[in-house]
Amino acid sequence: MTAVAKPAGTDAARPSLWGRFAGSRFLVKLTFGILILGVWEIGVRNFAAPFVARPLRVAEVFPTVIADLAYWEATWSTLWAVIIGLAIAMVLGTLIGLLMGRVKIADRMLDFYVNGFYAMPMIAALPLLTVWFGYSEEARLATVVFAALFSVVINVSDGARSVPREHLEVAAAYRANRRSVWFDITLMSALPYLIAGVRLAAGRALVGAVLAEIFASIEGQGMYILANARGLQQNEAVVGVLMLAAFGLSFDALMNAVLRKWFPWYRRDEGRGK
Amino acid sequence: MFTSDSRSARIAQVCLSLFIGLAIWEIAGWQFNAAHMAPVFGSDVGVTRWIAELIAGGATLEEHPGTIPRLIDFAQEGDFFLALGQSLGLFCTGFGIAMLIGLPLGILMARLRLMRIGLESYILGLYATPMAALIPFILSIFGFQFWPKVIVVVLFSVFPILYNTLEGARSLKPEMIEVARAFRSSERRIWVDILIPYTLPFALTGIRQAIGRALVGMVAAEIFLNNTGLGGWLVDSSRSFDMAGVLGAIIVTTLIGVFLMGIVRRLEKRFAAWRGTAG
Repeated sequence: MTAVAKPAGTDAARPSLWGRFAGSRFLVKLTFGILILGVWEIGVRNFAAPFVARPLRVAEVFPTVIADLAYWEATWSTLWAVIIGLAIAMVLGTLIGLLMGRVKIADRMLDFYVNGFYAMPMIAALPLLTVWFGYSEEARLATVVFAALFSVVINVSDGARSVPREHLEVAAAYRANRRSVWFDITLMSALPYLIAGVRLAAGRALVGAVLAEIFASIEGQGMYILANARGLQQNEAVVGVLMLAAFGLSFDALMNAVLRKWFPWYRRDEGRGK
Repeated sequence: MFTSDSRSARIAQVCLSLFIGLAIWEIAGWQFNAAHMAPVFGSDVGVTRWIAELIAGGATLEEHPGTIPRLIDFAQEGDFFLALGQSLGLFCTGFGIAMLIGLPLGILMARLRLMRIGLESYILGLYATPMAALIPFILSIFGFQFWPKVIVVVLFSVFPILYNTLEGARSLKPEMIEVARAFRSSERRIWVDILIPYTLPFALTGIRQAIGRALVGMVAAEIFLNNTGLGGWLVDSSRSFDMAGVLGAIIVTTLIGVFLMGIVRRLEKRFAAWRGTAG
């Protein structure tokens, strides 16, 4: 959307001040941002306990937190778990998804379970996973994989199912071998679906990692936030939340950019995500 | 039979897949330590013990309480319905508030250009923020009673509803409003006759996404704030290594999710025709 509304007084040679303001998206966003922060600041100052986070104090502690090694260690620990978990979920999910998309028996046998696990609130699996893997980083990794896997499976199987019939017929006509049919045709046409699935999975994976850290007291950004919020250092904790939000947003933007650059034909309703 | 699409064949396929899954679960449940895994039926059903001992080479296996018998026990004690009621009460209150905020605000934002431009990016940012990270704040600011838990559920679910409603209402062709204007429709009639019906299917998509998140929020609130409802049952069971209880709680929560999402999916199909060509 690049269309900018016409300034209020189009007939005038110079638009009015209001017209110029309303015409600039940046100014409007900035004003609303300042308004939100202002309400937050004033509201907390007047109506909340002194330890509650407010924007000015967050800005104040920001440099200290950023210079703190523990903050970066916590961030790295969480992000690494999310990245490794996503990678595992991607490989596993692609295999299962391709199988379900192209082999009817596999689809009929697994469909029920994939949809069931997809609908299952991942946090419910957390107590079970901590019993199996201990209160350890493996439990967090397992949570991340579990949270991410099924959106990848569902998307990839949708993708594999929607391979154009003509492509398969041409491949058969030219006697393409099985490997080419599976990897050069099916996987390639499912690729944009895979990326869309990974984009959805990343959000769930991040939530999973944070929940696992809080639940099992595993070192990471979730634990960093919990420890600071408990120690009445909410402003420091807010900086942690900002890092998680930044990661969520930038991963989303990255996947969107990949889709737009390499798979410009890919467009579909994104109703399946959570 | 495996690839047939007829109705009876499909039912048979689902039954077969269920049977295989249950069999694997039952056998796995018997193989592991009772503190790590529970079978479906367990010791209370003699046949499965016999089969499990046959697989184990005739050894006598320790008691393995089963998940289904555990659920039945729990239901007979009445605790189950108490927990279910607590959880559903929390879910419905939180989700209701999220809808009351998200739906009108979404349409309003599509209608007021300045407000949309001003708030859109921030809403997208909050949508991408893992709300789980805000639980510690809620705990230390508001405590751990019923209403703080409701806040958690609202936070988890309001943004998908708001965002989808906004995007849906925005995709309305401006010509429709212009025609209504030309016929001197009042703002109220524009909402009732155009905006709300047009946005409904998009909002339903958001609501379905939000159900999954709200359930996560519900269980998270019950685990991390004070232990009540299904989440409380889940944690209590896992603390006492009652794996049958843990699996039972997981199954019940999952069933709630599947059931609610199924209803909304049906509504979505019902109203799908309302999506204009833009949808």
